Amino acid sequence: MEQKVLKKDQIVKLYNDLVKDYNFYAPIKEKRNIIFGKITNPEDIVLNYYNSKVPPKEILFPQTDILFEYKINGKEIEIEEPKKLDEKNIIFGIRPCDAHSFILLMNFFSQGEFKDEIIMNRRENTTLIGIGCNTPKSTCFCTSIEGNPFQKEDMDIFLVDLQDKYLVEGISDKGKKLIKRLSWLTDATNADIEMAQELGKKAEEAIVTKIDLKNIDKILDPNFDHQIWKEVSEICIGCGTCSFLCPTCTCFDVIDENVPNENRGRRVRIWDTCQSCLYTLHTSGHNPRNSCIERVRNRILHKFCYYPENYGMLGCVGCGRCVQLCPANNDLRAIIEKINKIEQKKEEKVTV
Amino acid sequence: MVIEDQNKDIEQLIRDLARKLLKEKEVDVILGYTKGTIPLTSLPIVIDKVEDVDKLIWNNLCYINLAKYLVPRIPTLMNEEGQKLKVGIVSKGCIGRALIHLSVEHQIDLENIKIIGIPCNGIINRKKIEDEIGEREIFEISVSGDNIIIKGEDLEQTLPFNEYLNDLCKTCQVKSPPSIENICVGECLENPVIEDDFSDMTEFDSKTPEEKWEYIKNLLDTCTRCYACREVCPMCYCNLCFVDQNQPVWFGKTTAYSDIFTFHLIRAMHMAGRCVGCGACSSVCPMGIDLNLINRSLEKIAKERFNFTSGIDPEALPPMMAFDMEDDQEFMMEED
Repeated sequence: MEQKVLKKDQIVKLYNDLVKDYNFYAPIKEKRNIIFGKITNPEDIVLNYYNSKVPPKEILFPQTDILFEYKINGKEIEIEEPKKLDEKNIIFGIRPCDAHSFILLMNFFSQGEFKDEIIMNRRENTTLIGIGCNTPKSTCFCTSIEGNPFQKEDMDIFLVDLQDKYLVEGISDKGKKLIKRLSWLTDATNADIEMAQELGKKAEEAIVTKIDLKNIDKILDPNFDHQIWKEVSEICIGCGTCSFLCPTCTCFDVIDENVPNENRGRRVRIWDTCQSCLYTLHTSGHNPRNSCIERVRNRILHKFCYYPENYGMLGCVGCGRCVQLCPANNDLRAIIEKINKIEQKKEEKVTV
Repeated sequence: MVIEDQNKDIEQLIRDLARKLLKEKEVDVILGYTKGTIPLTSLPIVIDKVEDVDKLIWNNLCYINLAKYLVPRIPTLMNEEGQKLKVGIVSKGCIGRALIHLSVEHQIDLENIKIIGIPCNGIINRKKIEDEIGEREIFEISVSGDNIIIKGEDLEQTLPFNEYLNDLCKTCQVKSPPSIENICVGECLENPVIEDDFSDMTEFDSKTPEEKWEYIKNLLDTCTRCYACREVCPMCYCNLCFVDQNQPVWFGKTTAYSDIFTFHLIRAMHMAGRCVGCGACSSVCPMGIDLNLINRSLEKIAKERFNFTSGIDPEALPPMMAFDMEDDQEFMMEED
């Protein structure tokens, strides 16, 4: 497989070449946070970053997404055509865990009886140019989810940071085609390729957080009523940080907003979270998940039990955002550890 | 005394009192802090055994206001029979203030609580530290002498403690909880008198309304509406928050400017004369939004207009709960 080299000072050239045909998204610093922003000035691109605070899922699945607008004429409702959906996007600098999250997102949005054409369209028109993580954070745990900091399978083009340049490898046909278009890229040397392999090994060794998720779905399944849920939710304050900033959370709410005194409005999709009291509140006033106990349980079961059951893979990519950002430091790693201990207790009983 | 020695003394005070309260069965559980799992955090903990007392810690990252865990909205600490537990709560000044104010608003029963008063020596501003360190991972943070020592990969930095405190802590006049007979143990303030000192607000107050509006717009526009600020706030205990009203919907739920501002500004209105200045909302915001100036403005207005500071006097009614014929009405402005 032919590999190329992109010098870091050629990022501007890359941007200028592609921005004519694509919305070019890349990590930028907005206020205190690294986020994926639509680039208008390539100088804004931040290349020295761990990962973005808000995951790039917001490009496929924006927090506020206008589905369509409507006009009301008496009893008639006229729906205005949704805006163009064929815009092409490039997400430059996406990390392997977040690229993997796109597989998980699309499992949800494109399978089963109800398919989300808006999001499927966006995904279809999006090209991922990802970068391996030379220095993962101590809270990263992608290797526990069968991933690794240099996992390239979920990207279209995979880059490896070789200090002053990137090693460029086309992964998908889409990616290979795009590389052909960038004819000015120079060929990589054997030394470049070897260095990238070396960095990959080092990065994998640098993942210090190891959590055992092998049997988690089997442990969780029969323990819906276990007292552990009270223990692990005791300090949860009930905000939505863990789910809003999770690259794999897909829950949304749909609202109609009417413009006051004008006969028109819009239908908007917004992010929702299972940690909110409204999420399961029935019209009757009854709420089957009335406290943090049920809500924390739902979040864990969804990612580590229901999702594997529905799609054959874990519903987590190991990015560590929820670990880093939980206001009460209710660490997912500690919760998993406690869950794994449930099983051990059972085994002890069996041996006795 | 240098900060690290103060911390050791406070920690010892917490453990001694917790041990005593548990041993003498004065409380069922102790609500306190333990070491966080990652740097720049601390972890709230509930313990019920004397042998676990040494898990309790004190450092300058104990930013969560533990009073929140006693309000009705979060499942209250109960025993297996569903009876409320008697809680000993580790209380820096702002936790004591929150407990007193919650009692004034009839949300908690102080009789069921033991306040373990400690002389707080300030909470480190996590955002300022992160701004300073940038995109480098912090492995360890500690206090040595009067400095904060930060260690990471290829990183060792010394920062002056006083400069990296929360701004609220710099002006705080209630380091320990106000004393209440039979409820408080440990170090508490007898009859605290709050001086008018809003010198930290001079710059903000000198802004024109337009400039203030720009400041607030710029401050809030990265909000993701995760509501961590609301959920961590001991004063936010409504069963259904105004912003969650959906039969019918009261306010927009999108991340459009107008919707974000509506939430934050109406929440601010509800905090007037109630905010206890713990700064937890700013400490926990995942997007790094600092609500300090908004909260201080509210505190200043309540103090100037009504000579009221929340959470000091368990008998005093807060201005928004009391009505007086003599109240000033000059805020009713005519349109010009």
